[in-house]
Amino acid sequence: MYLPVSDNIQNNQVNRMKESSPDHSLMPPCQVACPLHMDIREYVDLVAQGKIMEALQVIRNDNPFPSICAYVCNQPCEEACRRRQVDKPVAIRALKRFAVEFGGDRMIQAKAKTTHSERVAIVGSGPAGLAAAYYLRKLGYPATIFEADSEPGGMLRVGIPEYRLPREVLDTEVQRLIQMGVEIRINTRVVSLDLLFDMGYQAIFVAIGAHQSLRMGIEGEDNSGVIDGATFLREVNLGLKPSLGKRVAVVGGGNVAIDAARTALRLRARKVSILYRRSQAEMPADHVEVEQALEEGVKIQFQVAPIRIKGGSKQLSVTCVRMELGEPDASGRSRPVPIKGSEFNEELDTLISAIGQAPQTPGDFHVRVGKDSTIQVDPVTLTTNRLGVFAGGDAVTGPATVVETLATGRLAASRIDDYLQHRYPVTSKEERETLTGDLLPETIEMIRKTERLEPPILPPEARAKGFEPVELVYDWESAINEARRCLRCGMGAEILFQDKCATCLTCLRVCPYHVPYLDDSGTIQIPAEQCQACGICVAECPAKAIVLRNPYDRRHITEELDYVVKSAAQSKSKPLIIGFCCQYGLFGTGTLAGLWRGAKTGIWIVPVLCVAKVEAEHILRAYEMGAEGVFIAGCGEQCTRENTAFWIRQRVEKVRRTLSQIGLEPERLETFNLAATDEDPVKALDKFTEKIGGLHLISVIMQEVKK
Amino acid sequence: MIVAEQKPLEEVRRMIAPYQRVLILGCGTCMTVCNAGGEREVSFLHSALKVAQLKSPNGTHTFSEYTVKRQCDPEFLELLVDKVADIDAVLSLGCGIGVQAVAERFPDMPVLPGVNTSFLGMTSEWGVWDERCAACGDCRLDDTGGICPITRCTKGILNGPCAGSKNGKCEANKDMDCAWILIYKRLERLGQLEKMRRYYPPRNFRTIPRPKRLMSKANTDLGENDG
Repeated sequence: MYLPVSDNIQNNQVNRMKESSPDHSLMPPCQVACPLHMDIREYVDLVAQGKIMEALQVIRNDNPFPSICAYVCNQPCEEACRRRQVDKPVAIRALKRFAVEFGGDRMIQAKAKTTHSERVAIVGSGPAGLAAAYYLRKLGYPATIFEADSEPGGMLRVGIPEYRLPREVLDTEVQRLIQMGVEIRINTRVVSLDLLFDMGYQAIFVAIGAHQSLRMGIEGEDNSGVIDGATFLREVNLGLKPSLGKRVAVVGGGNVAIDAARTALRLRARKVSILYRRSQAEMPADHVEVEQALEEGVKIQFQVAPIRIKGGSKQLSVTCVRMELGEPDASGRSRPVPIKGSEFNEELDTLISAIGQAPQTPGDFHVRVGKDSTIQVDPVTLTTNRLGVFAGGDAVTGPATVVETLATGRLAASRIDDYLQHRYPVTSKEERETLTGDLLPETIEMIRKTERLEPPILPPEARAKGFEPVELVYDWESAINEARRCLRCGMGAEILFQDKCATCLTCLRVCPYHVPYLDDSGTIQIPAEQCQACGICVAECPAKAIVLRNPYDRRHITEELDYVVKSAAQSKSKPLIIGFCCQYGLFGTGTLAGLWRGAKTGIWIVPVLCVAKVEAEHILRAYEMGAEGVFIAGCGEQCTRENTAFWIRQRVEKVRRTLSQIGLEPERLETFNLAATDEDPVKALDKFTEKIGGLHLISVIMQEVKK
Repeated sequence: MIVAEQKPLEEVRRMIAPYQRVLILGCGTCMTVCNAGGEREVSFLHSALKVAQLKSPNGTHTFSEYTVKRQCDPEFLELLVDKVADIDAVLSLGCGIGVQAVAERFPDMPVLPGVNTSFLGMTSEWGVWDERCAACGDCRLDDTGGICPITRCTKGILNGPCAGSKNGKCEANKDMDCAWILIYKRLERLGQLEKMRRYYPPRNFRTIPRPKRLMSKANTDLGENDG
């Protein structure tokens, strides 16, 4: 009755498509910025389609502990997100949290088989150590973690307050590692690496973190009312109750200072302030954390530093001095300079110093230690001066973010694998080209502005009462709408077949974003860093010379149509109506979800990633497959792209003209737009179904009459 | 550029009715640019013919498709030798020239025109083409300010405007600009209004025969008497 697609396509075209199957999509800035190089664009896109399980799968490909990152990641990806140039970056971390929670991450069983006999010891169970253990197990090595504290997790356990990372999340990950066969020895402080080698371990990964607080170096620092930030948080997090007065001040401007201040507030300190010697702009702490601290009632005094502490326990008189900002120092930030005669006194009960931390490596490790007591390693191989000893995490870099240490943990696992298998470490994988460059003003102007949806958070009053997680999870609809804001950078169109291009300028004329241009030599160019991947030029190019950079995008609709054909053949029921439905937003997962894959008799759905990609030929092919009616359901005004409805109308009219030339009623082709109809789309579709049924009946009768 | 439009489907179906295996042949130059016979239109027509066959059969057909860069150059047509070996007819979506070139190259093969070649024109916006040249072989655009009265005046008169010009529009079509008013305004702008005073005698279609062949190469085949 009909022929499969590839059947009649000219041979050289098939060959060319095969040649073209390599992925030409560029690595987007978010992925470049992520220390783990997670495929963010892909999982955000899957969330936008409501495919949460698939999104989680993509997340788990590159991240050993996505649940942890979903809570505490400092989201460098959002810093790099190009949506920032249009309005605000996509809320990537919150979307990951949604995927992790709704995708059922805690149910996932991790499995690992032991395929190697060489045992690896990991000193420290912080994020670096846990990640290294995870990947070493995946590579088939027996791995043992040694942890000095009474519970595993390192800074995740003793540094990060519970309101930022619920402990059951960490426990789940640890439990999963144990399931994978990782041995975790708690309360075991390693004092000598020789001992580990004697025990039969063939490689050691030192990831002892940076737990030693730096001293302020001022008079009265050893007063009993003064406590250091790391110790304070550790005691609180291990369930000890450090004595804390009513009036608390925290010295420092990093995340530890904020964590300490907010924790003090939760321990019922009445007045909590932060003393920071520079201004807010220089503050290294995550700005969201700073805002939340302010909301909860923490006061921050900028350009203030303590210089002297007097008094006994519970009664401190701290002399502070105001600062002015001078020339930039080595860190690139302005150097604070004390203002003469600006001294003032603060009456406090407790002073928490959180001005930085350094690693404390036991001398018996015999590893070379450099600046700020950090362990010196080769940055590529992570090897120390001792054979078989590798190091990573905060112990090497000084205090860093969780995601950075996870990345070194992963790197360490593969380097240890190289070492144990006597392989020369491969320094750089062949990676995809990265997308660079900013959006042009004329492109930005045409991109629809959509508000960034923040996940709900507990109100400040409720937060300060205890250690409940501050941030909550998106609901289904908000998550999908937030994910749809992604610009899908680097996935755009390219002129793949320059020999076919007739330089007809159709792409230049149809692009809603003014992206294609004629270069000086008169060749048409579609710059990847501007293209919004809407697919309009791909569907309109009369020479079929333009394709989307991602091979899956190129094949998607054709493959889904084929799938419908196959399914219909198996079910032996001829498809009566074929509908091209946008898979994004509400049509994909909400309104028309009930029609999914022939759930309703005779209606077969071809999911598409924006109806702008449905070509006139696709519509005709649906009739070729025997459909009596075809409909296209798009998001209408809710579409995140420009001009979608206009181009669909153009193609629909073209097909309708052809239908009437064949003697078929143009009403056999219909479009539904979410916002356009006041009518419930499901009801509109029911009407359409009824009409098509009627038309079909009439044509059958007419044929009988003719006979 | 040559502008054409696809023939109505019914006409195409009537033409191909006697032939079972039909190659739909696109052209990658003008016909691609004017959306009449590029690779996309080839596959659209292919699909449309299959749907038509499904809904109201007239004979059995199998179709194949191919698009060459330019049908009017015989070298490109060499690529077709294998493709036409096992077919009964070529449905060419090239312009009239393309159809003839294919017919000339494959003398035993019926070649059917899939488009109506309409005019020489330009794109005014996406999907809209306007006629600009009649290929009359006697170009006077220097006298008419770069605006062709042959194609743009309904009557094609050489000494306009006629009395049917109203408010700068043509009496035959109120949406159409009067070409001679456009010419007047352009000449005024160029400071060459005196050209409006001249009388242009009617073109003599008998003494201006169509050239039939043009050569840009020098004719070196001059016979024995030449130097």
